[in-house]
Amino acid sequence: MNAHDAAGQTNTAHAHTGHQEQALLEIRNFQVELITDAGIVRAVDSVSFSIHRGETVTIIGESGSGKSTTAMGILRLLPEDLAVISGSVLIDGADVIAEPKAIDKVRGKTLALIPQDPMTALSPVHSIGSQLSEAIRIAGAASKEKDAVRARAIRLLEQVHIPTPDKQLKKYPHQLSGGMLQRVLIAIALASEPQLLVADEPTSALDVTVQGGILDLLLELQEQRGIGILMITHDLGVARLISDRIHVMKDGSFVESGEVQQIVEHPATQYTRSLLAAVPVLGPWDETPAVPAGDTASSEDPGVRKNDDGDSTADGDGTAGGDATAVGRPAVGRPAVDTTTTAPGAAPLTRTGVRHD
Amino acid sequence: MTNYILKRLGQGLLTVFLTVSTVFILIRLAPGDPAVSYAGPLATTEQLAKVREQFGLDRPVLEQYWIFLQQLFTGNLGTSYSFQAPAMQVVAERMPYTLTLATASILLTAVVAIPLGVWMSRRPDTNRELGVNVLTIAGQSMPDFWTGIMLLTGFAVLIPLFPASGFATWGGLVLPTVTIAILQIALISRMVRREMTANFAAPFLTVARSRGVRNSVLTWRYAMGNSAIPVFTALGTRFAAMLNGVVVVEVVFAWPGVGSLIVRALETRDYPLIQATVLLTALLAVAVQLVIDLAYPLLDPRVRLGKAATA
Repeated sequence: MNAHDAAGQTNTAHAHTGHQEQALLEIRNFQVELITDAGIVRAVDSVSFSIHRGETVTIIGESGSGKSTTAMGILRLLPEDLAVISGSVLIDGADVIAEPKAIDKVRGKTLALIPQDPMTALSPVHSIGSQLSEAIRIAGAASKEKDAVRARAIRLLEQVHIPTPDKQLKKYPHQLSGGMLQRVLIAIALASEPQLLVADEPTSALDVTVQGGILDLLLELQEQRGIGILMITHDLGVARLISDRIHVMKDGSFVESGEVQQIVEHPATQYTRSLLAAVPVLGPWDETPAVPAGDTASSEDPGVRKNDDGDSTADGDGTAGGDATAVGRPAVGRPAVDTTTTAPGAAPLTRTGVRHD
Repeated sequence: MTNYILKRLGQGLLTVFLTVSTVFILIRLAPGDPAVSYAGPLATTEQLAKVREQFGLDRPVLEQYWIFLQQLFTGNLGTSYSFQAPAMQVVAERMPYTLTLATASILLTAVVAIPLGVWMSRRPDTNRELGVNVLTIAGQSMPDFWTGIMLLTGFAVLIPLFPASGFATWGGLVLPTVTIAILQIALISRMVRREMTANFAAPFLTVARSRGVRNSVLTWRYAMGNSAIPVFTALGTRFAAMLNGVVVVEVVFAWPGVGSLIVRALETRDYPLIQATVLLTALLAVAVQLVIDLAYPLLDPRVRLGKAATA
């Protein structure tokens, strides 16, 4: 069980869709060494994986496992005097490790980051509109005229389902909630119509009620545009919901990699099992659903929680013969994305984990 | 907003009133007799008594204070003993010189210290940064009278580039300005570096970098934009302090400003002149502080729009 297997599966998966294309992100023996007072620490140790168009690959692990360091290292956002990166990182074919300048050509163009904490991710003294317009200009919009940029900014905010976008442009980050700011940041990320999104725990700083809406939005955008997503999370609920493949990270290296269903149902290592067992179980949730169960997904509403016992159970053990993608991440026309990321899915997942002990 | 301005204005006037009142009492508590200074060491007791009577110093202190208050509200603080002219007029004539020196100094400070601080923040732990760092510590540590004398010796005496004293030509402005600015540049540039370093480590800067924002824009728009408030405040506060007269530097360079005037007024116990100087400089300092307060909302939307997060 290693990354090469996963890559092999990807290739076959894409072979039957008809075109063998270049990976959006191809990472081989990626390594990050941090220079600390106590000496050199290898935070990421020889990690390899790849992401193709329309795929979501998740790196999951506990804090300090090196998952965020991996993401930041790929984007070359680690301080250069404190972090030494090596290996090869091909972003849309360009090796940003061998050719550091290449990162300038992909940042804000083919590649975009969705940060961990939306509350601190925008400059507090600049308006939403000015930061969004800046991203549009960097992306190389067809027209740099003020009106055209503004129109595009409004369109982007509409795409991330922000109400009254023309009014929001004038606002400053402190005037918006965390969920709204994350939508703004996604709009900023989309300004360049990127092919690859790196989402570094995009929901962990948000309310549980808002998390689902953000994940829904990411899935919706992925369906519309075929964006590849690298998702960093410690939350198995999130991983199960949106991933095609999962890499389980511990102490800087992948201890387990594979399709979502396989990892959840047949965890190969004790570490993965403990991650599965760590998903909290919220008992009363199942008995008193906040929103009546229903299959009609309303991905527009960020706050809607869907609690569907049948759906959750199916995730756990009901689709043995089905396509893996359909389980972990409902494909186009998916009936209901379980928008509560931790709670409702938790019980069956935990059961699964226990059963395979 | 109007309420805010009125409130700040009221506070400012109260500050000025308390300041002049305190000074009124302190100078009368301090040793020394204006009459002796005025009439000279050879004056007889009768002559001294006459001078005291003429200046109104023979009356009880409370009565003197009452007269002072009346003068305060009419804006006429009496006649300077040594200049034999209205005290306010004497100070007002000196004020432009101090204003010129203070403005030149603060401009030079801003123009040098901000880029210097930014430069240091972008090259942490390099040898050149270390060198500049040591220089700023030296600049902070040198007393201004010493810096002034060294500059005088160097650039007015040994290499006579600039006049040694006074303000006859614009060249006369150079040495006193540089003397004041050296200390201020050292202080402000270190502060700019500290603020910039903090903002370079802020998440919003990393996120902006991730969307391809150029380094120069990250530095000036993002890091500097977020450092502007403390830096602006520091510059404004230092400017206000300089308006009270940069006493030592004005004396070293015989600068005809308020600083050298107050030294002379204190030496001669010229009460009306001391009070007029304190009144005018305190008013100016309060006005500058008010301008700084009013500029906050322009620099920071969080002040302008209030904390209205809907989370």
